[in-house]
Amino acid sequence: MSDPTSTPALSLRGINKSYGAVRALSEVTFTVHPHEVVAVVGDNAAGKSTLAKVIAGVITPDSGIIESEGVPVTIPTPASAHALGIATVFQELALCDNLDVVSNLFLGRELRRGRHMDEAAMEEIARKILRDLTSRIPSVRSLLSSLSGGQRQSVAIARTLLGNPRIVVLDEPTASLSVSQTAEVLTHIERLRDLGHAVVLISHNMNDVRSVADRIEVLRHGRNNGSFPGHSTSHEEIIAAITGAGDYSMPAH
Amino acid sequence: MIIDRSTPGSQASLREANRARIVDAVKRFGGLTQVELAEATGLSTATISTIVRELTGAGVVDTRPTSRSGRRALKVTLARQLGLVAGIQFGHRHLKVALGDFGRTIVAEQQMPLPLDHRVDTGLDRAALLVVDLLERVGASMDELLTIGVALPAPVDTATGMISVRGVMRGWDDLHIGQTMSKRLARPVIVDNDANLGALAEHELGAGRGYRDVVFVRASYTTGAGIILGGHLHRGYAGTAGEIGHVQVDPMGDICRCGNRGCLDTVVGSSALLDLVRSSHGDLTLRDIILRARDGDPGCGRVIADAGERIGKVVAQVVNTLNPQLVVVGGELAAAGEILVAPLREEALRHTAQNTIAPVEVVLGELGPQAEVMGALTLALQSTEVATDHQTITALTDDSMAAQRHLDALRTKD
Repeated sequence: MSDPTSTPALSLRGINKSYGAVRALSEVTFTVHPHEVVAVVGDNAAGKSTLAKVIAGVITPDSGIIESEGVPVTIPTPASAHALGIATVFQELALCDNLDVVSNLFLGRELRRGRHMDEAAMEEIARKILRDLTSRIPSVRSLLSSLSGGQRQSVAIARTLLGNPRIVVLDEPTASLSVSQTAEVLTHIERLRDLGHAVVLISHNMNDVRSVADRIEVLRHGRNNGSFPGHSTSHEEIIAAITGAGDYSMPAH
Repeated sequence: MIIDRSTPGSQASLREANRARIVDAVKRFGGLTQVELAEATGLSTATISTIVRELTGAGVVDTRPTSRSGRRALKVTLARQLGLVAGIQFGHRHLKVALGDFGRTIVAEQQMPLPLDHRVDTGLDRAALLVVDLLERVGASMDELLTIGVALPAPVDTATGMISVRGVMRGWDDLHIGQTMSKRLARPVIVDNDANLGALAEHELGAGRGYRDVVFVRASYTTGAGIILGGHLHRGYAGTAGEIGHVQVDPMGDICRCGNRGCLDTVVGSSALLDLVRSSHGDLTLRDIILRARDGDPGCGRVIADAGERIGKVVAQVVNTLNPQLVVVGGELAAAGEILVAPLREEALRHTAQNTIAPVEVVLGELGPQAEVMGALTLALQSTEVATDHQTITALTDDSMAAQRHLDALRTKD
C-alpha cells in the first residue's frame, strides 16, 4: 500500500552501476514504503539482482542517491545494510545443512547467558518467529538437511526477521519450489507485509508477483520501464513492459 | 531443555491438557513423527508415546511407519475413516484447499494468494497439485481420495459444472470446470457457488444448525447469498438463486461485470470499496481495509459499515420474499465482525415485515473463513454417500481397505 503521505522506508534515485563497458543499472529509481510489497521484475540480465545487491550493500553504485526514511545514506557493506535495518535473502540461502533450525537462525549472533549459550531462550524466539510467519516447520531442532525447499526458505526468511528489520529483500524466493511450497512462501510474504515490514520481491514469476505485490517495478536493460499497481495490472501489460513492446521508460513519479 | 509450561491442576487434568496439545499439533501440521511431536509440544518422547498409544486406541489418531533422515520413525496423523474428500475454494484473490474425512474433520489445509483475474488453467493445475501435496502431507495415498468439491465465486450450473452467467469470472466462462478438474485428479468433481457452499456448511455445522430456513449472505470481493429452504439448498434452475450482488441498487450507477447497471456489487464490491479510500489512505487491499477497520481506523470502519447498510437493504428484500428464520453473514468482510453485521442487521430488519411467530435473526457466521471450503467438503461427502447405499457405508467402517476397493468398484460401474 503506497500511502502517498508516508516517507519511503527506502528510496533510490538515479542509480548507475557499470561492469566495465556493461551498464548494469542506468538511472534507476526505486522506492519502497513500510507495509508495502514492491516487486522488481524483468528478463534475465535486466538488472534485478544488481539492484538487490545495491540495496543489500553487496555492491556499491557508481553514482546515485540512496535515502533511508528520508535521510541520505550510503550502503558500502552488508553490515551497513544490516545497521540500516535491511535484511536480504539471496537465492543461495546461505544456510548450514548440518545444523538445526535454531542454530541456523542464530548463527554468528548466539544468545548467551554467562559463558554458555542460552539454548532455551533461542528456542523460544525461534518458535515465536516461525509461528508469526505461520510456518509449518514442526520442530526447531530439525536438521536443515531434513527440510523441504519451502521450509528452508521459511528458515531463511525467519533468519532475517531476527534483527527486526524494516526492509526485507527476497531474491527469487519461489524459484525451484513446488506449488505447495510456493503457497507457503507467498503466505509468508503476506505476513511480512501485515507485520509492517517493507518487502522487496525480486522475481520473474508473474503469477507470484501479481499475487502479493502492491506495486510492480519493471526493469529492462538496466533501466526503469514502468511502475504498475500490483492489484489491478494484467499479466499482458507487465509482459509488454518486460519485452519492451510497451515503452514506459519515463517513470510516472 | 527446560521450558516453563506448567499446567495447573491434578495429574488427570494435566494428562487431558497434554492429550489436547498433541491432537492440536497433529491437526496443525497434518502429520508428524513422534520425535517432531515432542519438539512441537514440548512434551517428553516418553509422554508422547504413551499418549499416542492411548489416542490410537481411542481411534483419534493413526500411526504408520515412515523414515526421517534415514531413521525409522512413527508418523502420527488424525485417524480417518472410509477415505478422504477434498474441498477447493477459488476466491478472487486466494485459493484454499482442504482435506476432510467422514467425521467432517479438516485433516490438512493450505492457502495460497492468487493474482487478480487469475487464470483458469493455472488455477486448476495449482489446485490439483496442492491436493496431491496435502495427501502426501497426511501420509495418504491417492487411492484414499474419493471426491472433490469446488467452490467458485460465480453462479454455477451444478448439472454441468459450468459457470452459468457470463463475465462474472473472466476467462472461466467456457470451461467445463468439473470435467477439466476431474481429468487432472481422476476423481469425480462437484462444482458449486461459494455462497451456496457457505450456506450448506453454516447450516450443517455452524450458526444455522437446527434451523430449516436460512439465508447465508457472503460479503466479499463480490456479494452473494446461499439459500436453505426446508433444510435443503435452493440453487434455482440454473444456479443463479441468491445472486444478490446483481440486484439493482442505483439505476444511474456503473455498469457491472454481468452487463447490467448499478448492481449491488458495483457499490459494495471490492473495487468500489477500494476507490472510496484511495484519496485518504492510498492504495489499499480489501484485507488492509478489514484489518484497519478492526484496529479502529474510522475511515475504513465507515467504508465497511456503509457496505453493511447497503447489503442490509437488499437482504431485507430477500427476507421479505423467503421468510427465513435466520440470516447468517459470512465472507471476507465478515472478518470485521459487528462493524459490518450491526448496520446490516439494522437495515435488514428496518425494511422487513416482522412476523410475531419467529422474527428473523441476523448473526455472524460461526465458521468464518472456513465456511466455503467446509461446504465444499460437505458437498463432496454427501455425493459420496449418495454413490454408496447405507448398508455399504456401515459394512465399510470395519475395514477401510475393503471400503476403498468397494468404492472403486462402484465408481467403475457408472
